[in-house]
Amino acid sequence: MAQEASSSTSSKTISLKTGDGEIFEIEASAAKQMKTVQRLIDDLGDDITIPLHNVFSKELPKIIEYYKKDITGEITKDFEAEFVKDLNDDEVKVLFLAANYLDANKLFEFLSQNIADRLESKSVEYVRKYFGVENDFTPEEESKLREERAWSFRGIKEDE
Amino acid sequence: MIFGKISEVKTKMDFIQWLGPDMSIKVLSYLDHPCDLVRVSSVSRSWNRFVIENGLCKQLFFEMFPEISDVVDSVEVDNMMIEPVTNMLDNCANWECLKREHKAYAVMAFKLKPYVKNCISKAIAASSTNNYPEESIVNTLEPGDRTENRASYWLSEGQSSPGVPESLVYKLCSKICLITKIRVQPFQAYFQDGSPIYSAYTIRFRIGHPRHHIKLESAIAHGIATSNMVGDTTQFVWTYTSPYYQMLQENQLQEFTLPEPALGIGGVLLVELRGRVQQQGLYYYIGISHVQVVGLPILQAFDVKTYQPSGKYTLKYCPPDNCIYSASSSRSDSNNHSRLWSLTSSITKLDVILFMMHCLVLVLGILLLMTKKL
Repeated sequence: MAQEASSSTSSKTISLKTGDGEIFEIEASAAKQMKTVQRLIDDLGDDITIPLHNVFSKELPKIIEYYKKDITGEITKDFEAEFVKDLNDDEVKVLFLAANYLDANKLFEFLSQNIADRLESKSVEYVRKYFGVENDFTPEEESKLREERAWSFRGIKEDE
Repeated sequence: MIFGKISEVKTKMDFIQWLGPDMSIKVLSYLDHPCDLVRVSSVSRSWNRFVIENGLCKQLFFEMFPEISDVVDSVEVDNMMIEPVTNMLDNCANWECLKREHKAYAVMAFKLKPYVKNCISKAIAASSTNNYPEESIVNTLEPGDRTENRASYWLSEGQSSPGVPESLVYKLCSKICLITKIRVQPFQAYFQDGSPIYSAYTIRFRIGHPRHHIKLESAIAHGIATSNMVGDTTQFVWTYTSPYYQMLQENQLQEFTLPEPALGIGGVLLVELRGRVQQQGLYYYIGISHVQVVGLPILQAFDVKTYQPSGKYTLKYCPPDNCIYSASSSRSDSNNHSRLWSLTSSITKLDVILFMMHCLVLVLGILLLMTKKL
């Protein structure tokens, strides 16, 4: 009853080299989903190792895992839940930055939603810490805001 | 430019500035609660500016209520009409308008948020699934019958008899929900010849809680709630059962309005489907692409605690200042007098003292009145 999976036209693999010098293989059809990689392939050819200065060996395997599932049409809600289950907030941020750099749209959208989920019901201080943002309100401005927006400061989860 | 972890990026290049407005809007637009969005805007001046200038609260409001997005032209705050921003030439006045718009939409969204469109928080299990996990019940949480690149639906196992029923069990977002209607969309296999619709003849709904609460809750948490657990409806105590409704053999989100809004206690919803319509080969199947529960979840101050194995439960009322009041309730099939018994058994010493003080005040008041009259 399942739909036919999209067949990949080539089983060629591309070599990707991370910023910390490790090399990973990925199928050409998966690489196509990452527009930055595809652009580099178009410029440099698909026979040489593509350098990815801003992605590292910690996160690239995870990204490859995601797109491996994507090209066989196997990305389900269960898979996505499992994918982020054991990631802490920092790891999600790093993946998110990498997905943005690689212009990997599907993963980027999925991680955007996941980050928004992680911020749900969290305090302002937690969000500041998470994104590394400095509080540039004066104490007076801050207390005025909190007074005006008191209703939004209810139901906050405890910071971990 | 060297990219590092987000928290190491200098504040001059904070997250929103670094990603650029389009990407940042994308991430922030995934926040679907007005409180979260308003708290995000309280993070710093630039984030406040960003949320207000890009009208994110207004965007969120119309996402919650798309049916009025074409109709609403402007808002009025404190009897002052806020002109559509494009008409303003003065940047300062622009900013003031945007701030007022932001506030108006944020508060409206906040006030209306409890009236959620869908009270389902999780899919628990189906009585059977043809192809797990591709055709699992989880897909029915997704509106429509497809996502970007694949079909999204639940399909039962095939049966040679069309009379075998199926059940879908969901967790509601609150243990106390006032439900008004339930919407169900049967699945039309658009990729099969003839695009058959795998509907059922009749449908009904039940609300309750698992009889052996801990076992089922744990199974759900570990993702091992099985079809066996939900196929056997004696595993649950049903506090509400709807009448049977006819299902149409049409690929549309069909609405079933309950005869009266039902207060569902227990947090579990069962969708029971009877009478298989469509065959594939020798077997009959039922397929559903989407289920939605419309109602009002009672989230704050009220809760339900169930006791096993008696099936009794306690309704808890916890006003913000104290949590000493609660009234026990029994299952519908026990005697009336036992309800009074469990009510009286929960009256505390404090209640007795308060009651006597009230009596004293009343007596004194009456005496005073009598002396005045004389």
